[in-house]
Order: sequence, then C-alpha cells, then structure tokens
Amino acid sequence: MKYKRSPVYIAALGIVSPLGTGTDATLAALKQGSSAIAPLTLFPVQQQPPLPVGQVEGFTDTQSLPRTHRLAIAAAQQAMADHDCNLNGVYVGTTTGGIERTEQLLAEAKNDPVDYIGSYSYHGLGTVAEEIGRKLGCREKLLTFSTACSSGAVAISMACRMLQRGQAQWLLAGGADSLSFLTYYGFHSLQLVDEQGCRPFDLSRAGMTVAEGAAFLLLTNQKPEHSYGVILGSALSCDAHHGAAPHPEGKGARGAMEKAMADSGVAVDTVDYINMHGTGTPDNDLAESKAVRSLFPSIPPLSSIKGMTGHGLAASGAIEAVLSALCLQYNILPANIGCETPDPECELEPLTATRSRPVSTVLSNSFGFGGNNACLLIADSENEKPVTAEDNAPLSIVGKSCITGAGHTLDSLGNFFLLQSMAGTLDSSTMAEQLPLRSIRRLGRFARMGLALAAAAKNDADIEQSPHAVFMGSGWGALSETWDFLEKLRSTGEQFPSPIDFVGSVHNSAAGQIAIRHGATGSNVSCSGGDSSFEQALLATEAFLGTETRYNTAFVLGADEFHPHFTPLLDPSAMAEQPADGGGGFYICRKAIPGKVAIRSCFYEQTSETVLEHLIGALGSRETIRTQYAMILAGIPAAFAEEGEQQLDLFMRETKLDVPVIHYRKFTGEFAAASAVAAVMAAQLIESGEVPNGKGILVLGFGKMCTAMELIMQ
Amino acid sequence: MDKLTSELKERLIAVLNLTDISPEDIDEDAQLVGGELGIDSIDVLEMVVMVEKEYGVVINNKEIGERVFSTLKNLTRYVRENSPRFSS
Repeated sequence: MKYKRSPVYIAALGIVSPLGTGTDATLAALKQGSSAIAPLTLFPVQQQPPLPVGQVEGFTDTQSLPRTHRLAIAAAQQAMADHDCNLNGVYVGTTTGGIERTEQLLAEAKNDPVDYIGSYSYHGLGTVAEEIGRKLGCREKLLTFSTACSSGAVAISMACRMLQRGQAQWLLAGGADSLSFLTYYGFHSLQLVDEQGCRPFDLSRAGMTVAEGAAFLLLTNQKPEHSYGVILGSALSCDAHHGAAPHPEGKGARGAMEKAMADSGVAVDTVDYINMHGTGTPDNDLAESKAVRSLFPSIPPLSSIKGMTGHGLAASGAIEAVLSALCLQYNILPANIGCETPDPECELEPLTATRSRPVSTVLSNSFGFGGNNACLLIADSENEKPVTAEDNAPLSIVGKSCITGAGHTLDSLGNFFLLQSMAGTLDSSTMAEQLPLRSIRRLGRFARMGLALAAAAKNDADIEQSPHAVFMGSGWGALSETWDFLEKLRSTGEQFPSPIDFVGSVHNSAAGQIAIRHGATGSNVSCSGGDSSFEQALLATEAFLGTETRYNTAFVLGADEFHPHFTPLLDPSAMAEQPADGGGGFYICRKAIPGKVAIRSCFYEQTSETVLEHLIGALGSRETIRTQYAMILAGIPAAFAEEGEQQLDLFMRETKLDVPVIHYRKFTGEFAAASAVAAVMAAQLIESGEVPNGKGILVLGFGKMCTAMELIMQ
Repeated sequence: MDKLTSELKERLIAVLNLTDISPEDIDEDAQLVGGELGIDSIDVLEMVVMVEKEYGVVINNKEIGERVFSTLKNLTRYVRENSPRFSS
C-alpha cells in the first residue's frame, strides 16, 4: 500500500549565528566571506589565553532564560514574524539545552535541592521547545532531538516526515545551542580544537571551533505565497563505529547522503552544491571527503561554512539548512573560508570564494558524535513526479525488557504481578551482568542501562539479527558523566577536564553505544522531553522506521539514571519518593504480525484546559474508547500529583470508562523514563491474557505533557 | 619492577577503569594502544590528562603521543625524563 507524499515547503527562515541576526545579515556576511571566529569573551575562563570560538553578538541578559533558550526564541520569532499560522509542533535539536544555567548555579554552590530545585529546571533539554511553544502559543508536539552535532538536521528531517504523511500542516523545526563550559572545555580535552580557528579541508587544519547559534525553518505542506525552496528528502544513518570518531572511510556519511538522494527521488548529478559538515578536524574532513568522492562520479561545487561560523553543534544542521535555502533563493555558493591549501589527501577543491551562479539543488550534511548522521536535500522547486512512499505498518513488539530497582525483566515484572513495588536503583554490577566488562569500562550508568536493555530485548526476541535502527528517550541523559566532567573541571581550576566524561556526557551516548554493539547502521535518534521522553522516542520511531524488510527493525528504549547529587536538583518528582531509576525497551518490527502486541503513539500535547477534549478526539470517540480498552496504566509524576489526578478523574468520567486503572509510578518509582517500563508492563499484561481478547491497554501520561500510547494484541 | 612503572600501571587501571586486570597483567613491552587491553584514542587523551596532572608532563603533539603511549616502558621513560618530579 503506497501513499502520495506531500511536498515540504520552506515558508520562512530564522537565524541567529556568529555571522549575525536575521537572514539579511547572514547573507551579507556570506557574500563578504568573512570569518566571525574570535577569542572567547562570553564568559571568563581560567585557562588563558581563551580559545577562538564562534560567538553570537548580544543576548547578554543573563537574568532571564538561559542563553540557548534566548537564541532559540529569537530565531523562532524571526521565522514566525510574517506568518500567522496554527503551528502543529516545534521540533528542536539541542545538545546541552540550558547547561549554562546549571554550570552557573553549581559554580555559585547553589546546590541544595530544597532551595534551588526550580532553578535547575532548564537543564532539561525539552525546555527549549517548551519555551518557544510558550512564546508562540503552540501546545502541540513540542519535541526535542539530541543526536549531538546532527540534532538540528534530525529535527528538520522529523518535521519533513510528519508533513509528507499529512500528520501536520505547519511545523517549526531547527536547532539551538549556546556556548558553555562543558562544550568549550570538552572539545578542547579531546584535542579537537584548532587554536588558530577552524580551517576545514586545509592541509594544516588542526580541529574545529566551538560555536553557538540557533536557526529555525517554518515548514508546511500547504503551498505558501512565498517559498524559500522545498525539502525534497532527508535521511539518517549511524556509523556504528566509535563514540567520538567518524568511520575512517565515511561509510555512515555516504549511507546518509545516498539515502537522502533516494528519499528525494533525485540523481546525484542533479546536485548543484554540497554544504559540507566540514568541521575542520583531520578525521571528519578526510572521512567526509571519501564519502563524497565515493558517491559522486563528478563532484559538484562544495564548501563548509564552519570557517566563518565555527561549529554551532546542534544548531549547525539548522543554520546550514537556512544557509542552503539562502543559496537557492539568491543563487550564491558560499566560500570555504580558512582553506588556503586544500589537503591533497581529501582530493577536493572547496570553493575559495563566494560565487554567484544558478543553484537548484543543495545537499546539506550534518554528522555527530555517536556516528549520528543526517542529510537534507533542498531544492528550489518540488519534484515533477510526485514521490510515493510505503504506508505505515504497525510497530510489532517481538522482544521486550526492563530494568527497575527490583532487577531485570523477570524480577521487575514478577514484583509487579505480585503487586509489589519495583522502585529502587539496581546495583551497577547486577545491571551490567550480561555485558562484556571490557566493552563497558568507560560507560556510566545511563549508557550501561541502555546497553543492558537492548541486549535483553534482543535476547527476548530470540532473533539472531540485531535491529537496524535505535530510538531512545531519556529525560536527563548521562547524568554521571555530566556531573563528573563539571566537577573535575571545577576542582582542577579548569585544567583537567576528562575527555572520557565529555564523550559520555552527550545525550545520545547510550544510543550510539547500542548501535556500535549491535551494528545498527540505520536511523539513530535520541529524544528528550522530561517525563514524556519515551513517548517522543516512539513518535520518532513511527516517523523514521521504514517497512522494507531487513530495514524495518529497531530498538525503542527509554531510560534514566538516578544520580545522588544531580537528580534531586533536576527532577521535582524524585524528591517525593525513594531514589529510583531504570527503563524499558522493545525490539520492534514494523509489520503486522498476528499474535504479537503492537504499540502505537496516540496523543502528545502540552497539558491545558482543552487537552482532554483533544485526547478523547485523538482516541476516536467516547464509545470507541469504551470498546477498545480494558485497562489504563496512568503515569502521574509526583510533581504533578494533584493536577494529574484531576485530569485522570475527568478523563474517566468524560469517557464513562469502567476499567481497572493502575498508577504505574507506584510500582516503578519516580523517574522520567518510567513510562517505558509501563509500556513493557502493558505488553506483558496483554501477552499473559490479563485483558480480554481484542482489547487493548492505554498508557496515559498526565504531567507537563498529556500523552497516550496504545498497546493491543494483533 | 621500579616504583614509577608500578605506579603508572595502577594509575592506568584506575583512569581507564580496567577493572578486570591487575598491574602484573600489563606487559611493559606490549603494544599499549590498539593492543590486547582495548585502549584507543580516547583513552590516550585520558592518559594525557593523567600524565599532566600527576607528573606535570605535557603531551600536546600527536606524533609524540603516539611514541610515548606505544608501550608502558616508553611511557615510563618519557615521564621520568620530562617530569619535574624526577629532575635533579
């Protein structure tokens, strides 16, 4: 069954980068070909002299929101300035969110949870999308993607899939990251920073330049009055090679570019310009060159703009998507500043100066830590022939696993079926008992949890072949490594930050490790949205996982670790109960399999006065709800106890649903990824015949977001 | 085994979290990076930090790094020759 994909028009652009604020300033800087890279002045550093960075001018008001949020809001507002549309969602790529605020609070020793818990809320990556949503009055899908330096491009790619399928009409997608101690010193600890400023593809290049910025694209499948171009297609891939180094032959990069072409329905010889990822690190530039050369028989003009902007991390994919749209609009090809003598080993000739010439099709590359690659293909007009795509198929659960304080899957679910609590923090050695010790020696609790969940889900599926893709949700990510990195930085006068901690601190560290361990070279997406992070990962699975045999399998996971210092500061729900953490995961196959439970995301929206009405509408009707579901698993985070109970109560009354309701957090304990465990509990209840044939279970979330997942036997 | 060698072995085990081996398992002449211990480029950077922090020896050049971290014996020699702790 195939359906016709809707085109994805770029209706508006917003950009804040070291080159300036707004498209006019950006365009002028591009034409001029000047670099904005200069020594850091944004915050004082103890290690002198300061390294060169790509810093955004202005935005110095430190009293309000964290800088990432302010940059993001500015870019988002630019994109929305001339549009009064009803946004169906804001998709944000970010790697460190409000870390700058966390760093500041910790430096001031404001670390008593009782006094300062609210102050740390911006540490949650999802707060960037939430703040943009608040400013723009959008309560629908506020989603956050954190796949290191490809995050912005992944957010845009996700938006494309929703629009192509007609699941949304107007979406704002992009990325944002501000400079922070974590990234400034983190990349330096990896000896990846060029002290002269980055010089992509130059023979003597010595690394990247850490930068900041934000960019958003207003995307729609409704033909707008004016369009900056059309995103014809996109693709993700994973190197599944190393946590912080690209595959030496650029295998994953090539795969993403090739798939983006195929997704767009265009041939390689139609590409007029490649916007390279080109970070300036010796390894990236060489690997990317090899990937380009192996894919393009005749190499189109190409350049990296990072010699001008530096590397805006999660923002870079979005900044460069905006830039690509400007290239199409104004028929210019930007210069590859910093490359004076092209590295003969790269065998490329990057553009030495900005040129004017007709541009119709641009390929934009973004690659990140964890081997997370994303490519976008942007053109000045839509395909002549409409592109068709495979229709959606159910997500069948072929294996499942969970970890709680009670132990692994059997022990956890055993406790639940005896109606006993499984809350707690499983000791580290039991958690990792099935994992080879040597392979996890550098990994903290979060990544170990992810690996253990994936291994157990595969084991339960009893399938030799590992899944092709990985989708993971986490409210807080790698807390241990983030804490350790900042603590070592502080305690050594910023002299000895740990490179291992930095690599492990990225939100997608667990998903990247899972890909390496299982050779999962397909899409690799990490999402974050507080207590609804697993629900976001499920939405990403539905958007990205294809139906083609061999490529239609994925790990879909949710996990959060408890950290004795960090968690009490970050998660207000964790204050009320005993320490708890864990997660749940599935081995998913995208096809109908009779006799297997299918999982589906039914609803995701910010809580409001009208949210229940929308929830009931999304589930069908009151009558469908009564016939369809035999049980409710309700997740009400402790911090939202009162409002959540009211919402649940109202939902039951409104629908006149008379079925058992299980408050799953009473069993799992309080942690952000508890809903992943709940999904596993629901699957087990159905498989054990605890609900009548043909009926399903609804897993509802009533917190900051209102969410619904349906599990039902096929 | 001299004191510095055994001290470095212990530090390597601690900093790289090689919990499944003991100091005597590390062969001083065996290839350190890319060898049996599974040490890679990220570990090298962590060792660079350790060597600077504990011995005041700065290694910020890839070629020197490759030579110094090729074996434990070479690392020991380099630290002994360059650390203020051992200068007379």
